Amino acid sequence: MKCTHMLYPEIVVAGCGNPLFGDDGFGPAVVEELSRLNLPDTIKAVDAGLGGPHFIFTLLDPRLTRKLIIIDVADFGGQPGELARFRVEDLPAGSYRDAHSWDLTEPLHRLKDEMDITIIGCQPKRVTAPEFELGLTEEVQSAIPRAVREVLSLIGVDYGTALKNLRKEERQY
Amino acid sequence: MSKIVEISPTTRHEGHSKLVLKVDDAGIIERGDWLSITPVRGVEKLAINKTMDQVPKIASRVCGICPIAHTLAGIECMEGSIRCEIPRDAKLLRIILQCANRLHSIALHNILILPDFYLPGTEQKINPFSPQEPVRTVAKRIQRIREIGQTIGEIAGGEAVHPSNPRVGGMYKPCTKQAVSKMYDLAKEGLVLAHEQMDLMIAIINNMRKRDWVEVGGKQVPLPKTLGYHSQGVMAAHPLYSSSNLDANPGWDPKRWTDVRPWDWYMGEGEVSLADPSYPIGGTSPVGTKVNPQMEACTGVPLYDGAPVEVGPRARLVTFKNFDMKGTWGQHTARQLEYTDCLYAMINALDEYNPSGRVLADPIPQGDGSLGWAANEAPRGTDVHLAKVKDGRVLYYEMLVPTTWNFPTCSRALTGAPWQVAEMVMRGYDPCVSCATHMIVIDEDKRVIAEKLIQ
Repeated sequence: MKCTHMLYPEIVVAGCGNPLFGDDGFGPAVVEELSRLNLPDTIKAVDAGLGGPHFIFTLLDPRLTRKLIIIDVADFGGQPGELARFRVEDLPAGSYRDAHSWDLTEPLHRLKDEMDITIIGCQPKRVTAPEFELGLTEEVQSAIPRAVREVLSLIGVDYGTALKNLRKEERQY
Repeated sequence: MSKIVEISPTTRHEGHSKLVLKVDDAGIIERGDWLSITPVRGVEKLAINKTMDQVPKIASRVCGICPIAHTLAGIECMEGSIRCEIPRDAKLLRIILQCANRLHSIALHNILILPDFYLPGTEQKINPFSPQEPVRTVAKRIQRIREIGQTIGEIAGGEAVHPSNPRVGGMYKPCTKQAVSKMYDLAKEGLVLAHEQMDLMIAIINNMRKRDWVEVGGKQVPLPKTLGYHSQGVMAAHPLYSSSNLDANPGWDPKRWTDVRPWDWYMGEGEVSLADPSYPIGGTSPVGTKVNPQMEACTGVPLYDGAPVEVGPRARLVTFKNFDMKGTWGQHTARQLEYTDCLYAMINALDEYNPSGRVLADPIPQGDGSLGWAANEAPRGTDVHLAKVKDGRVLYYEMLVPTTWNFPTCSRALTGAPWQVAEMVMRGYDPCVSCATHMIVIDEDKRVIAEKLIQ
């Protein structure tokens, strides 16, 4: 069970978004892929789902956590499925107003001096809110392996091997 | 001559909602409508023909703050439909999960409401983010309580936010002895903190009850002693956890539930005729703004025995523990009293839990299409899910979430209060309105130009 691991790891990868809103499920989908890989115990991939602002920050310990990687959809005017990397400085500082504008940006601005924070954004094609719809579009689906590689390079895991060989169920011991 | 004032969006709660208030010349609410303005649709349709294991996972994504309550209610209504009794040890893990969820939710609500309250003995409102003592110590304690709740939830539930361990028929994995002792240690630490936090919050609430006025937007607004009183009933299915159609004495009855459409309930078309730009966070809507709660409300109005009911901590204590405080202060007090209940219940469940016991029913029936329901007592009230499962597939699915029950009740409870304190009444319900999604919008140079909320 999880308790045998550290609950506050050195590196936290948080996939944010709602899989019920089409491409908004990109973050959780990347985390699902990451959780299939054999990663060091110091790394924790969290499916933050809809609870990012409320839950993730209590699961970081600034004394131990030194890197936070957030994966989400971001509309930066690119081609659907295109990835972009942002620093906290790229995000406007929000202000505390309500539980919803208590979004990711304000706590990130507060945390940025305590740990290294990177945001990986994927240009979505179809965010279906307020209608619920399951499933990513093909373009965004195809960005998952690229996002995984990006995360692996950010956390310094590079075994020089194909991704599938890192998968727990397919790994050759 | 009545005037209409609109507060939109309401703040310091989860989700998007607004208040449309008809007030008299003195600013006292004659009729209030509190409604959800976030349209989130289609979960019932989405569930049809999915497997009974998939649907609770989908339900968990409906809300960012109660994924645990929705997962448990979703799973247990499936179990109710297929008539599946789960092993005792699985039930205990679910109780632990439930308590962990309630614990961190109450602590979050403390942060959201504290700015409405005064530090006892002073004329200073509380800013929970202030670096000054004594508030700093309180904020740290709230943070620690949240960490404890979430960590226990993560251990018992398998994941930090959307729990993956519960499943139809029980749980995927048992918790090891080591996990149990970790949760036990955290619960013991949490119990001390919860006692301290409960005492402090009750002192803060009692201090507020004695006040005659409150400052809102630079003005002194009278504070009625009957703030948030209403004459509607209360509804609670269980003092702590949940009830379902499998119980010998079910705590909820689907036959007593009816649903009416928003346009049968809310006010019709109108125009804002009173505005106050000094009202906190951007002022109220300007004069001339068109309002039409009948058409704007995004939720149906569920009734129990033909009338709206209050759900939540006060409803639980009134139903099961002879609690007799009313109104907003009663709701806040009841919520604080649940702090220690969560931890005692968690410790008792951990004591009883056997790490070597079975956590999965065998066999798991696949269902014959009969109706099952589960009423989970989520932090903010009774979360009822109903389902019909046949051959492992979902034929029918419905969610009646706590705040949907509270919308019409709270609307009635607004009557008689000055409009400036309407949000305080609303916050007493710890509302959790359906979630929208956030999206960051960035221009060609990959610089953020706005943060856009897609509704």
